Amino acid sequence: LLSFRAAQYACTLLGYTLQKNGASADFLARIKQLEAHMSLGRKLFRLGNSADALESAKRAIHLSDVVLRFCITVSNLNRAMYFACDNILWAGKSGLIPHMDQEKWSQRSFRYYLFALILNLSRDAYEIRLLMEREACGKRPKGSETRHALREDGSLQQLLLMLKVKLHLLVHVLRSNPPLLVDVVKNACDLFIPLDKLGLHKTNPGFVGLCGLTSSVLSILTIVHPWLKLKP
Amino acid sequence: MGCYGNCCARSSLSSVRVETRPEVEGSGPGSPGRSLSVCPGGVKKWPRRPESRHCRKLRGSPGSMEAFMNFTNQTRGRDRLFRAIQYTCMLLSYLLASKADKEMVIMKLKQLESSMRSGRKLFRLGNIVHAMVAARRTTQLPDLVPRLCLTASNINRVLYFICDTVLWVKSVGLITDIDKQKWRNWATKCYYYSLLMNLTRDLYEISWRMEQVAQREKAKKENSSHCDEEDQDLICMGTGGLQPFLLLLYHALRKHPPLLLDTVKNLCDLSSPLDQLGIYKTNPGIIGLCGLLSSVVGIFTVVSPHMKLKH
Repeated sequence: LLSFRAAQYACTLLGYTLQKNGASADFLARIKQLEAHMSLGRKLFRLGNSADALESAKRAIHLSDVVLRFCITVSNLNRAMYFACDNILWAGKSGLIPHMDQEKWSQRSFRYYLFALILNLSRDAYEIRLLMEREACGKRPKGSETRHALREDGSLQQLLLMLKVKLHLLVHVLRSNPPLLVDVVKNACDLFIPLDKLGLHKTNPGFVGLCGLTSSVLSILTIVHPWLKLKP
Repeated sequence: MGCYGNCCARSSLSSVRVETRPEVEGSGPGSPGRSLSVCPGGVKKWPRRPESRHCRKLRGSPGSMEAFMNFTNQTRGRDRLFRAIQYTCMLLSYLLASKADKEMVIMKLKQLESSMRSGRKLFRLGNIVHAMVAARRTTQLPDLVPRLCLTASNINRVLYFICDTVLWVKSVGLITDIDKQKWRNWATKCYYYSLLMNLTRDLYEISWRMEQVAQREKAKKENSSHCDEEDQDLICMGTGGLQPFLLLLYHALRKHPPLLLDTVKNLCDLSSPLDQLGIYKTNPGIIGLCGLLSSVVGIFTVVSPHMKLKH
């Protein structure tokens, strides 16, 4: 599934770059057709994913941490709704439902996808915050000294230094937790797709293709190396 | 983009009717096997060889290959289900073709069938690697006849998937100057040969199991004076004839359901290429029914893995 997603977004990116560089219309049409073919094929094979997402939501209810429980469950519920809309879109595109407002259903599905991604990112932010706090607690003996020294300086400089310390901490936390880093980058890249499709933050199709391709490649990496998958 | 499915005439999509099962006889790594050792007296025994003999890891990079297999396994179950739906649609549209006021339903069924077909085509793109891995695995089988048959079958499947990929490229419109008819013909032939090889292997297995059952019953008859109902039936096999042969066949298959399932699957799959190659023309209804039956058996073997025929 994911390799075709990667291929589909690669086609989008390729089509956009070729269009900018003035390739033949016939070739562009072929790439678009290939992309549409892949999209429809993927939609077919996603027909069962609603049930999978509901199962994941059911499992996530038993998590111990409240924030995680909330984020993951609601995210999976949104994903289930996204897949349901996607299935209806497939039926419409295959001609099974004749008079269907495809645009409306497409917008709906992207809205659910956006909510799911926002929740995923909130979960990532929460995890990062927890880890940063843990790291900061470990370094408190050192940190308190610098903080005493900082209090004497001007407030702006103090703020900048604090930001710098926080940034260093963030980089350290992300570097020592590759699954979290991969998940953050993946969700951030994925975020641009519904933002563009819903018109909230319009970019060009090439950028959307690049984001989609990156997130697909990262997903493939998490399957090939299962230790990279973020476990709740 | 659902129109591309409708534009193709049914015969042009028939290449997709030539389905095959990615997991046929190239069962997963570590599958326990049984082997056939010929004792000096020529009597075939059935010892349980240790698993290590059969669980040979693939040479090369086992990690990446296994990851690829896990990756593609997720879509396998769904592919079976969509295949079943596809053939059900074919069967239903044939059955309803004679009815007058069902044109709308028939059109919908045909649309569903074509969208299933084209969607599945996309996901068959990785099956070349599957078939090559299976071919490599079957060259390491201990018994000669299964080794030859299954390796030949898997090589034919590789060729079939190559033809299938070329046809997909043509249908998507990436390369337009491809002789569809020629490639489809080759694809059908490769699939047909691979099914024949599978059936040969099935027949070989059935024959030696029948022999095994016969010898066991003969030994039992000689050792015990009390014969029960079953033995009475099998005793008359000594006299020859069709009925004892069928009874022997029935007993052999009853004890080995995976073999029965595999034979049924191969026979059902044979109907489609036979029709396309013109060897034995039937109607779409029978092809749909056979395809549905083989898909159901395939789903069953995915759901209950112990029903899958192993080496």
